[in-house]
Amino acid sequence: MLDKAIKGSKLYWWWLFILFGAIGTGFLAYLYQFTHGLGETGMSRDISWGIYISQLTYLVGVAASGVMLVLPYYLHNHKAFGKITILGEFMAVGAVFMCLMFVLVDLGQPMRMFNLVLHPSPNSVLFWDAVVLNVYMGLNLVIGWMVLQCEKKGDVVPKWVKVLIYISIPWAFSIHTVTAFLYAGLPGRHFWLTAIMAARFLASAFAAGPAILLLIMLALRKASSFHVAWDTLKGLAKIITYAMIANVFFFLLEVFTAFYSGIPGHQETFYYLFTGLSHHGHWYGQLVPAMWVSLILMFTTIVLLVVPQWRNSEKVLPVTLVILVAATWIDKGLGLVIGGFIPNPLNEITEYAVTLPEILITIGVYGMGALVVTLLYKIAIGVREELENKPRIIGAAEHAAHGHAH
Amino acid sequence: MSGGKEHVEIPYQTKFGMVINLDKCTGCGACMVACMAENNVPVRYDESDKLRSITWMRVYKLTNGKPFPETDVCWLPRPCMHCEGNPAHGFSPCVSVCPAVATDYSRQTGIVSQIYTRCFGCRYCMGACPYKARYFNWWDPKWPDGMKQYLSPDVSCRMRGIVEKCSFCFHRYQRAMDKSFYQASQGGREDTRLLEEEYQTACAQACPAGAITFGDLLNPEHTVYKLIHATYKDKAFRILEKTLGTRPKVYYVSSKDWVEAAADNHTKKVAKAAPGGH
Repeated sequence: MLDKAIKGSKLYWWWLFILFGAIGTGFLAYLYQFTHGLGETGMSRDISWGIYISQLTYLVGVAASGVMLVLPYYLHNHKAFGKITILGEFMAVGAVFMCLMFVLVDLGQPMRMFNLVLHPSPNSVLFWDAVVLNVYMGLNLVIGWMVLQCEKKGDVVPKWVKVLIYISIPWAFSIHTVTAFLYAGLPGRHFWLTAIMAARFLASAFAAGPAILLLIMLALRKASSFHVAWDTLKGLAKIITYAMIANVFFFLLEVFTAFYSGIPGHQETFYYLFTGLSHHGHWYGQLVPAMWVSLILMFTTIVLLVVPQWRNSEKVLPVTLVILVAATWIDKGLGLVIGGFIPNPLNEITEYAVTLPEILITIGVYGMGALVVTLLYKIAIGVREELENKPRIIGAAEHAAHGHAH
Repeated sequence: MSGGKEHVEIPYQTKFGMVINLDKCTGCGACMVACMAENNVPVRYDESDKLRSITWMRVYKLTNGKPFPETDVCWLPRPCMHCEGNPAHGFSPCVSVCPAVATDYSRQTGIVSQIYTRCFGCRYCMGACPYKARYFNWWDPKWPDGMKQYLSPDVSCRMRGIVEKCSFCFHRYQRAMDKSFYQASQGGREDTRLLEEEYQTACAQACPAGAITFGDLLNPEHTVYKLIHATYKDKAFRILEKTLGTRPKVYYVSSKDWVEAAADNHTKKVAKAAPGGH
C-alpha cells in the first residue's frame, strides 16, 4: 500500500514540496534553538510554557476527529460514517504526532528524554499524558492501517482489530482528560484550577477536531477523486454544532463561578484576557483583541451552525468551520495556556512575546503533521480508487459505494 | 528514605527550615549575592532581566498599595519553600508533577532536591511551583573571565536546558554530616544529630541584619524551633499556606498585618507586590 504515497499528480507533488519547505525551515530553526538554548524563545520564569505547549493543547483536541466518527459508526451503527472513519483515525495520528513533536521541541534537554522511561513517576500527569498520547497514536495507526488493508484485500476485519477499535473509543476521552489534568491539578494557577477543565477540553476538541476533518474532506471533494456524500458531512456538522454549544456553555459556567464568587484569583486571568490588567501604572493586555475576536467568532459560529439553512448550505458551512477553527485556536492555542500564567501566583504580571525561531519551529511541526496526514490520506484514497476501478465490493467498501453519490 | 544510595540508616528525623523576620530585613540583597556565590549560579551579561536570570534566593518588594502618608514597604526574601505538600508528607507541588523523578522530597531532611543530570527540561515544575522558586537555564551557563576560579568545588554547575533551585545549601549539610559521622565513629560525640551552627545556609550567614534564622524545625534546641513554638507562636506565617496548603518550611514574621495578604491572590487585595525588588 505504501507505493500509493509515491505516485501522484502534479498538485500532490507541489503540496509535498511546500510541506518539505516548511519542515526544512522549521528544522533549521530548531537547530538554532538547539545550539543556543531555549533562551531564543519568548518564554521566561513566569511564562514557562509558550506556544509549543499551547499547540500541544490545541492539537490534542484535533485528535478527537477520530473518535467522533468511530463512536457513531461502531457504537451506534451510523453507517454513513463508515467510509470516512479511516480519515478521522489517520488525522488523529497526525495530530497526536504533532503533539509529541511539540513536547520534544519544548524540552531543554531533549537528549535525556529517555529519562521519562528510565525513571517514570506515576505521580506526574505529564508521564501519563505521554503514555496516553503514544498509545492513542499507535491504536489509530494500527486500526486505520489494518482496516484499509482488509478493505483492499476484501477480507473481514480481524477480531483483534475490532477489540482495538472498541478500546480506542474510551482511550480518546483519556487523551483530553489527561491533558486537561496537566493544568487542572496545579495549585496557585486559578485559571486552570477548575473541575470543568477536562469537560471543556472534550467539548472544544469535539468541535475543532471534526471541523478540521470536515474542511479537509470538502477540500478533497475538490482536489481528488474522494467524494464524500453531502449527507454524511451534514451529520458531522450536527456533532460539531452540539460540541461547540457545549464548549461555549462551559466557558460561561467558568465566568459565572469566577465572578459570582468574587474570588480575586479566579477573576484576574479573565480580566487579563478580556479587559487587560493595570499593574504598577502599566496596562497589560496583549491578548485582549484576540480573545474578543475569539468570543465573537464563537457566538457567530453557533448562530451559523444552529440555523439549519446555513448549517446545511455547501457555501456557508466551510466559512463557518474556518471561523470555528480560528475561534477555538485562539481560545485554546493562545489564551488558555499563556493566560493561565498571568498574573503569577505572587500577583506579578509578565507577558509573553513569541519569537521568530518559535514561529518557524511551530510551522515546521505543523508541516510534519500535515505530511503524516497527507501520506496516510494518499494511501487511503489510493486504495479506495483502486477498489472502485475493480468492481468488487465487500465489507466496509459497501458504504464507500453507498456514499459515492455522483 | 529516598534513593537507594543512602547506606547509613539515620535513626532520627530532621526537618530543616527557616524563619525570616521581615521587620529586620532591609532589602540589601546580601543573601542573594551570598547564595549566588555559594551555589555557582552563573552570571548573565544583563542581570537586570530577572525573568531570565537565576536567583535561587530572591528579594521581593511588597507595598501596602496606599497613597503617600500611609505608604508602607516591606522586603521579602524568597528561597525555595521546600514544601511538604498536601495531602501526604512529601507531595510538594513540584515533586508531584516531575515526570522523571528529577526532583524529590527527602523525608530524612525535609529538603526538596533537584537532580540536575536527570532533569530534561520540560518545566512542568516551574508551572506547578506557586512561589516561582524554580529557575530554568535558558542559555549555557557563563561566568566572566577569571570568575571560574571562584567556583565552589562542592556544588555541581548546571547545564543549559534544565531547572534548578535553592537546595538549602545541601552540600553544607552533607559536609556537616560527614564530619559528624566521623566524630561519632571516633567517640567524639554521642549522636550525629547536627548542632545549629554546624549546618547553616549561605544566605542566613550573610544577612547583616540577622533576619534569616535557619535550623532544624524538629529540634527543640534550635532557634527556629523556639521562634515558631514560643517567640512568634501563632504570629509566624507561611506564604500561600492558608489557601494552597503547600506546607512550606520557610516561615515569615512581620509586625505589619498587610504583609501576609500581599502575596496571596486568593485573599482580598489590601496590598500588592511592588515593582523593584532584586
